[in-house]
Amino acid sequence: MERNSPGGTGPVHVPLGHIVANEKWRGSQLAQELQGKVKLMFEEGLPWADFYLSSRSCILYVTEADLVAGHGYRKRLVRVRNSGHLQGIVIVEKTQISEQYFSAVQKFTVLDLGMVLLPVANQLEASCLITQLVQEQTREPSRNPFLRRKRCVLSELSLVQTVQQIPGVGKVKAPLLLQKFPTIQQLSNASIQELQEVVGQAVAQQIHTFFTQPR
Amino acid sequence: HPTTSLPHEGNRACILVDSREITSGLEVISSLRTVHGLQVEVCPLNGCDYIVSNRMVVERRSQAEMLNNGSKNKFIEQIQRLQGMFQRICVIVEKDREKTGDISRMFRRTKCYDSLLTALVGAGIRILFSSGQEETADLLKELSLVERRKNVGIHVPAVLSPSKCEALQFYLSIPGISYITALNMCHRMSSVKKMANSSPEEISACAEVTHQKAEEIYRYIRCTFDIQMLP
Repeated sequence: MERNSPGGTGPVHVPLGHIVANEKWRGSQLAQELQGKVKLMFEEGLPWADFYLSSRSCILYVTEADLVAGHGYRKRLVRVRNSGHLQGIVIVEKTQISEQYFSAVQKFTVLDLGMVLLPVANQLEASCLITQLVQEQTREPSRNPFLRRKRCVLSELSLVQTVQQIPGVGKVKAPLLLQKFPTIQQLSNASIQELQEVVGQAVAQQIHTFFTQPR
Repeated sequence: HPTTSLPHEGNRACILVDSREITSGLEVISSLRTVHGLQVEVCPLNGCDYIVSNRMVVERRSQAEMLNNGSKNKFIEQIQRLQGMFQRICVIVEKDREKTGDISRMFRRTKCYDSLLTALVGAGIRILFSSGQEETADLLKELSLVERRKNVGIHVPAVLSPSKCEALQFYLSIPGISYITALNMCHRMSSVKKMANSSPEEISACAEVTHQKAEEIYRYIRCTFDIQMLP
């Protein structure tokens, strides 16, 4: 495997389906839980992150103790944010003790830094969440319902509905108007005389006023 | 030029709230008004909970709903719908109000919950967590302030004259148009005819939408109707 640069600033190489974990997590409950579900590799001297899901995405784990200790954790977050090539996902232990600090952490992480923040109650929950994150990263993007290409809606139906919003035009007149003026643009430019060939004088006037009156 | 700039509605940030939220999020609305002093406009947003800027919508969801596999598809469909209209989406996951002595409502994390969260993260949708309606209001205020700093704040009045109302309904029927985009068009296009003859650049400037969205609108206005295609 490719060695990481000694300064710890180079990209970390992560084989597909693996997680590279910071050496400090060896033997922890989180690491043990993860080992049953994903392939875990430990590395020493990883710069700021706790886990690397890929060479572009990492997890910063903020413990209950980190939160109580003060703002020390913020420096790590800022470093990852400023690295430019890494997406940092912050997992924070939100417990009865650390709950009071959560709101400040969230504002800093999500609103100030624009990073992702996910709360967990303990290391067991974190292991399930990290496993899910690995699955999300390794599967086809089209499997994500929020990345799926949207279906094309037939524009004919919406065109009729749009024309029906014009005062005086209902279900019957809308398709008639569109047959004579097949685009909204053409309809908007129609003169009263042209409109009268499809609808009565009063409605022709109404349509013309709708399009031309200054608002 | 079509962009007649309007006088700013004071210095207060403006948030549009869906009228449905009056029943489900009354405390959010009153907190926004009284605690944070925001300009809150209740409008029929047709299922978009909060619009905090020209490009961002916020969906407020109870944690219980996110945990429950039964409401998963409904949630996915709703987010997909919002994706068709807004450039940025934020989901606020709000903790449910606890009833004293109700143990069944205790938070138990589910796989469904984790998979929804990670799918949202994968699609670049922001997630915020709230302990209740008051905190949700605070988060909404922060979001609207961040958006204002990025120059995409809401600067048009939500109250309309009857003739503008007619135009609003017309603009709203264009597929993929959000309420705020329609509102911007109402205020900044001198007439509906003018809008129908605008270039994508003019649409983008008036409606405050991305160039891609402006192109979509432009194509729709010029899309030829074929009666044969009507179902």
